[in-house]
Amino acid sequence: MPRYVIERTFPEGLGIPASAEGAEACRAVVERNLEGAVTWLHSYVSADERTTFCVYEAPSPEAIRNAAARSRLPVDRITQVRVLDPYFNG
Amino acid sequence: MPPMGAVVSTVTNAPPGGDLLEREVPLALLDQALAAVDEGKGRLVLVSGDAGIGKSALVRAFCARAASDRRILDGACDGLRTPRPLGPLVDIGKAVGGELQRAVAAKDAAHSVFDALVDELRSGGDSLVVIEDVHWADEATLDILGLLGRRVESLGSLVVATYRTDELTPAHPLRVVLGDLATAPGLVRVHLEPLSADAVEELAAPYEVDAADLHAKTAGNPFFVTEALASGSTDVPATVRDAVLARAARLGERGRDLLDAVAIVPNRTDLWLLEAIAGNALGALDECLASGMLRAEDRAVAFRHELARRAVEEAINPHRRAELHACALEALLTPPDGSWDLEQLAQHAEAAGDGAAVLEFATAAAEHAAAVGAHREAAAQYARALRYADRLSEVERAALLEARSFECYLISRHDDAIEALDEALECYRAVGDTTAEGLALCSLASRRWCGGNPLAAAESVAQAVRLLEPLGPSPELARAYAAASSMAMNAEQAEPAFAWSDRALELIERLGATDTLVFQLNNVGTMGMLLGRPEGLAQLERSIALAAREGLEDDVGRGYIHLAWAVSRLREFALVPRIDAGIEYCADHGLELWKLYLIVYRARVELDQGRFSDAADAATFILRQPNRAPLLKLLAYTLLGTVRARRGDPDVWSPLQEAHEIAAVTDDLQHLAPVAIARTEAASLCGKAALAAEASDAVLELAREREAAWIVGELALWRRRAGIDEPCPPEAAEPFAAHLTGDPGQAAALWRRLGCPYEAALALGDAADGDSLRRALAELRGLGAVPAATLVTRRLRERGERGVARGPRPSTRANPAGLTARELDVLQLLAEGLQNGEIAARLVVSRRTVDHHVSAILRKLGVGTRAQAGAEAARLGLAADLQDR
Repeated sequence: MPRYVIERTFPEGLGIPASAEGAEACRAVVERNLEGAVTWLHSYVSADERTTFCVYEAPSPEAIRNAAARSRLPVDRITQVRVLDPYFNG
Repeated sequence: MPPMGAVVSTVTNAPPGGDLLEREVPLALLDQALAAVDEGKGRLVLVSGDAGIGKSALVRAFCARAASDRRILDGACDGLRTPRPLGPLVDIGKAVGGELQRAVAAKDAAHSVFDALVDELRSGGDSLVVIEDVHWADEATLDILGLLGRRVESLGSLVVATYRTDELTPAHPLRVVLGDLATAPGLVRVHLEPLSADAVEELAAPYEVDAADLHAKTAGNPFFVTEALASGSTDVPATVRDAVLARAARLGERGRDLLDAVAIVPNRTDLWLLEAIAGNALGALDECLASGMLRAEDRAVAFRHELARRAVEEAINPHRRAELHACALEALLTPPDGSWDLEQLAQHAEAAGDGAAVLEFATAAAEHAAAVGAHREAAAQYARALRYADRLSEVERAALLEARSFECYLISRHDDAIEALDEALECYRAVGDTTAEGLALCSLASRRWCGGNPLAAAESVAQAVRLLEPLGPSPELARAYAAASSMAMNAEQAEPAFAWSDRALELIERLGATDTLVFQLNNVGTMGMLLGRPEGLAQLERSIALAAREGLEDDVGRGYIHLAWAVSRLREFALVPRIDAGIEYCADHGLELWKLYLIVYRARVELDQGRFSDAADAATFILRQPNRAPLLKLLAYTLLGTVRARRGDPDVWSPLQEAHEIAAVTDDLQHLAPVAIARTEAASLCGKAALAAEASDAVLELAREREAAWIVGELALWRRRAGIDEPCPPEAAEPFAAHLTGDPGQAAALWRRLGCPYEAALALGDAADGDSLRRALAELRGLGAVPAATLVTRRLRERGERGVARGPRPSTRANPAGLTARELDVLQLLAEGLQNGEIAARLVVSRRTVDHHVSAILRKLGVGTRAQAGAEAARLGLAADLQDR
């Protein structure tokens, strides 16, 4: 399945607490992703928590946008990517 | 070193994981087990899953990737009715020799063999023991497996055993062993799940196979999937059959007889029917259920898997099979509830070789299926009847062929539809029925057009006209004229469309023929609508209403499709409720293919209304359908590519390429224009002028020739945006023309009135004033049109700098190009056309100083010549600055 990096901007900051509540919020996103065969692998969050770079697997860009809409997440840009491992290709 | 043989193998440099799908987790579990073994903690890994789930493949892949430095001792249990005692240990003993081989050969007790195995594992270097198919293991092997399981951790070895979960009946001896081992240290369970629909789709991608159907039929079983694909046909592959039959062979004789009886009835067999077919063998039902080959349903039994049923059925000897089917046929003629099951009757009639019964029941079943909208089944039933049609007259056979052709057309099997009609034509020719031949040629034209071959379609119509005209006026000739009009209309050739229409309508008026009137009103109405003539809609609506009144459902659907086509072309969004009405009508009347066309045209409207997600969802839905006519696919792929281009999403070009390939073999705007527009827009949005030209040159010319105003306009505008400098074509539709002739504000207003926010925002974005640009930016952002918004942002930024340049006095600010005061002096004189020597004289400086200033000016303005420098000065607003000085 193709892999994508999704850039999202949160003007007010991401605001996911490191608590049961935060874990629940993430779990809810993962569950809503399932409807569209979308898998959230992991994310990188900027130091100010306003920008995230999320690594996803999905059948199409549309599936990612639909999943984002279900979870009310912003999407600035979707880029299709593949893995380059410096210690493997070296 | 151990002796090397067929069983002991050292594998090096094998690819990691091979090409296994969705087996990352099981492989990782095996890797973890191996890592534990490397730390001195032994592991017994039990790999389980249904037959064919890929246990052996997994173990092979693991051995290949993880065992480059250890020997592999593998043995397999066999599926004979009475298994070899210690079979796997015999294999391993043969390979390693020594005490283990001796102990096995001497038929020592299991624990002695176990001791010998332990010694071998301790002294023989790092080993990986693999025991396959332990569900078939004899009792002694199971004892050894139990011993291994309880001691494996301290033994420090890695043992992998595989078994089929679907073989484990409640009383299976392996269950006892597994129960004992449940809490043993060092036990790892790896259960293999069936493949997901996505994985099956991936595997099926290179083949002409419906992936969803394959997934459903195989239940994601990799072995079945692979074999079904490898077979290249609808027949069950031999190896699957072998697997199934080997399992069936373990039943008693009566059990096998019962399986045969169940196998001749697809899906499930009602018990009353089974009683009639199986007789005494019914007593073996419990055995069959316990074996797992059959499962009980409500007053019926069925095979656990359709492929298994077919394997068993195909293995029955032909004579007995025919007998069984004859029994079933007879029983089904007098069912307990008194109602005939046509499909079953047809099936058993054919299998029993009863030709007369096949013709009767298959034809009836086809008509029944067609009536309820099961067109796939109808096409198949007609095909079945046609296999016995040699006893029919040519005319009767032709009728069956025409019916089959129509059903094939409805399920987008265009080649089959055309082949059946070709055969029907042969029949008509054989009996010399020219009228019927001409009419069938008209149908053939329609099939060929829908199959994506408009050129061949036009040829068939021409042939029909040639055949029928000499016979004088007739309703059939009217039909041929109407068909010719339809071809021209679909190619958007207005003149011939209207000319053929006049001929058709004249005949219809004289001779009647309401169905042809409905057809022709559609043709002429659609042509008129596309040309923007008000009477077009009225004629098309009359066609739809008349068709509905006469019960000509296909023509009602065709009317709605053409209405939707014109509505999306002309942006007549007030008529969208008519598209919705059409969708409802088609859904109600089982016109699936028609409904899909309407959905795709409505999706085009949604795109133009700025509802990108809705349009993409609809396109994705269309592409998931099994019924996919070429034009339908083309339109859906085009939508998907356009939405991606407008949003700045990845993978714009692969759907557009798919669409482009479909369009390549056609010569009409219906196919060519949507793809050309989408590719030109996508090229333009990423600033590729050459690609935009390549995508649109030929189609723009064709559209101008056909006076397709909206296509001309849209292509011309995207070409302009891509940087292709050419005048506005006179044929362009009004909003495009306003934009292209320098009034984007007017264009924006027109687009807004039409209800096209994306086009309106794009037009605003080309306006000259900052307010319009800022509004355009906000609207494009609201639509999620990222690339277009980026272009407007850039333009605003450029203007922002220019705005500053127009502001305060030049002396108080840096001018845009960063020119010095002295350079501005030189530029002014340069712009007046003075040569360097004259400038030097005027400014009282040396010629060399002027040379130096001029080259600095050219560099700072980024231009190559003095003339360009003057023009650039004017563009940057420096001319005014210069005058101010």
